[in-house]
Amino acid sequence: MTAPSHPPKPNLDAVTTIREDGSHLFLHPADVRGRFTLARRISGWFLIALYLSLPWIEVGGYPAVFLDVLGRRFHLFGWTLAFQDAWLLFFLISGLGFALFFVTALLGRVWCGWACPQTVFLEHVYRLIERIIEGDGTRRRALDNAPMSASKLAKRTLKHGLYVLVSLTIAHLFLAYYVSIPELWAMMHSAPAEHWSAFVFVGIFAGALYFNFAWFREQLCIVICPYGRIQSALIDDHSMVIGYDAKRGEPRGKLGTPDAGACVSCNRCVQVCPTGIDIRQGLQIECIGCAACIDACDEVMTKVGRPTGLIRYDSLRGLAGGVTKWVRSRTIIYSVLLAIGATVAIWAFSGVQPANFGITRMQGAAYFVDANSVRNQFLVRLINKRHEPARLVVTAADLPPGAVQVGFMAPVELPAMGEVVSPLVIQVSRDIYSGPFHFRVGVSDEAKTYQLGRQVEFIGPEPELLREQSGRDHRGDYHSKKEKHEREESR
Amino acid sequence: MSDSHDQSHQPPVEGSIRPHVFDGIAEYNKRLPNWWLLTFYGSIAYAVAYWFYFAQSGIPPTDTVLIDQEMQRIEAAKLASAPVVDDPSLWKMSRNAVFVDAGKETYNSMCASCHLPSLKGKHESPTAVGPDLTDGNWIHGGTPIAVHKTINEGVMEKGMPAWEPVLGPKKVAEVTAYVLSFHQEGDPVTIVTSAEH
Repeated sequence: MTAPSHPPKPNLDAVTTIREDGSHLFLHPADVRGRFTLARRISGWFLIALYLSLPWIEVGGYPAVFLDVLGRRFHLFGWTLAFQDAWLLFFLISGLGFALFFVTALLGRVWCGWACPQTVFLEHVYRLIERIIEGDGTRRRALDNAPMSASKLAKRTLKHGLYVLVSLTIAHLFLAYYVSIPELWAMMHSAPAEHWSAFVFVGIFAGALYFNFAWFREQLCIVICPYGRIQSALIDDHSMVIGYDAKRGEPRGKLGTPDAGACVSCNRCVQVCPTGIDIRQGLQIECIGCAACIDACDEVMTKVGRPTGLIRYDSLRGLAGGVTKWVRSRTIIYSVLLAIGATVAIWAFSGVQPANFGITRMQGAAYFVDANSVRNQFLVRLINKRHEPARLVVTAADLPPGAVQVGFMAPVELPAMGEVVSPLVIQVSRDIYSGPFHFRVGVSDEAKTYQLGRQVEFIGPEPELLREQSGRDHRGDYHSKKEKHEREESR
Repeated sequence: MSDSHDQSHQPPVEGSIRPHVFDGIAEYNKRLPNWWLLTFYGSIAYAVAYWFYFAQSGIPPTDTVLIDQEMQRIEAAKLASAPVVDDPSLWKMSRNAVFVDAGKETYNSMCASCHLPSLKGKHESPTAVGPDLTDGNWIHGGTPIAVHKTINEGVMEKGMPAWEPVLGPKKVAEVTAYVLSFHQEGDPVTIVTSAEH
């Protein structure tokens, strides 16, 4: 390893974690203690427990979150959506977007530091493993620089072995969101060839997790994450960020230096930073808002008997001595957009019906004419989106007088989550047929708690042509042998 | 340096800034991360290898061959699941309660709207669409194989749809068995041209 024993001094011109030659500088942040570190650890473990337990918790007979792609059903906390409801994803995604805009404008990158799975798993699982096996930041850096030995090999093997194990566990549980725990368990007990795509998915996903958390780490936040890149456009001088109070801190000086500011130049804030920046150089795109430097600085300030908060959560305006404006055009616009989106989303989600149906013309001619009537034939596909059986009533409404519905005379039994396809025929007596028309096909449950409808066109010949034809061949075609036969029979 | 105020950092070294300026924003001349360059050149190499392997080498089977293979597989699966269709076996199915019950279920959901649940069609109600299936009169043939063909391929001009694409070979055979269960082998078959009253 060519890494120097001390990381280079952070500057504003280059990313600390990329060396001059383009190689990745692997950071070893120092340990940090304090109120934010503790709060972050508690919330982090809570989130990990939440992420990993959702597929295990049963709500209404299904896992709390079960995105059943194969069965085309999405179960969310006892609520079931069918594939036909996928358009609602629009509200989910745009809602997440606006919520993120709003939160960022007010509170900066709290998501990155406190809730993003990247940070949560990195800080509270992978770096914890590293800390337990290889020691604190100084020891880890020393181990990096040490020549290969039996103990180094053992430590590295143990660390990477645990990384692989954790990555495989996360990948399996992630798959469980899509296939459910019992199915996952069944897959794990059968040969990979029986579920090849799931096996390859878990392999690739676990590999990506391992690579990301074992080596890539902060590069994801700095170079790849789109939210990390656009957040600089979402914040302004009044957004809460983590910053250094230069007015109070400068000029820096060791304890006892005359005319020095509050900063004692201990460099603790730089040593604990997981992205390798010096927060005293101001707000930077690498900062994920983890608050490690706040705890580090507060600890030092307490030790030297100076007030804490030299590095703190504040707006850029507040750090410069001004007053933070929470209510401003940006937050008002974002909250109005968020409120509009939330209202429309509630309206859309409350309109989700427990069933759906489609109607298509049956194969063959568009219409049929026989001795008595003009006829259109349709196939109706009923879809029960609920996981309990349903009885649905299908009716043709707005039919002109003389038109008769054939089929769906009784309510249709649908099994839980089942689909039923059945014919619907509309007949109009030839005597009163007056040309094509539109009618409505309605589907409802027996109690009529909900109703679905579609407009359908009845296709037929021009009434004049039909009358001419019947005048010309005057049922000639239909004097059938069968009829004669039956007449004879009835005599 | 450590005690100096480095918030107002040093002006950049000559040559470290790239010559272009947009909206007053200049760009540092820094080397891209090696991992980034690796993915960049790696994807170029992958694209060339992909193009060569799939478009030039002739090693992998073409899409036409793959589709043919898949169609053969589907065809084979269909043949394997399709019951034998000839007069004796259809008669045999029509005496088998399992086949007839399965056929009845399909009949009631798909066929009963036109031929009525009683199978009597126009004979029972003049407004019904389909003809009587229980009497000895047949329009499109009364042998088991002919009844099967009528259900399977339909009669386009009369509005009887082809049910094979909707139901598949197994269900068509079951429905045939259900219809035949109302008849006896050896019953007289009268061919008529229409079922109108």
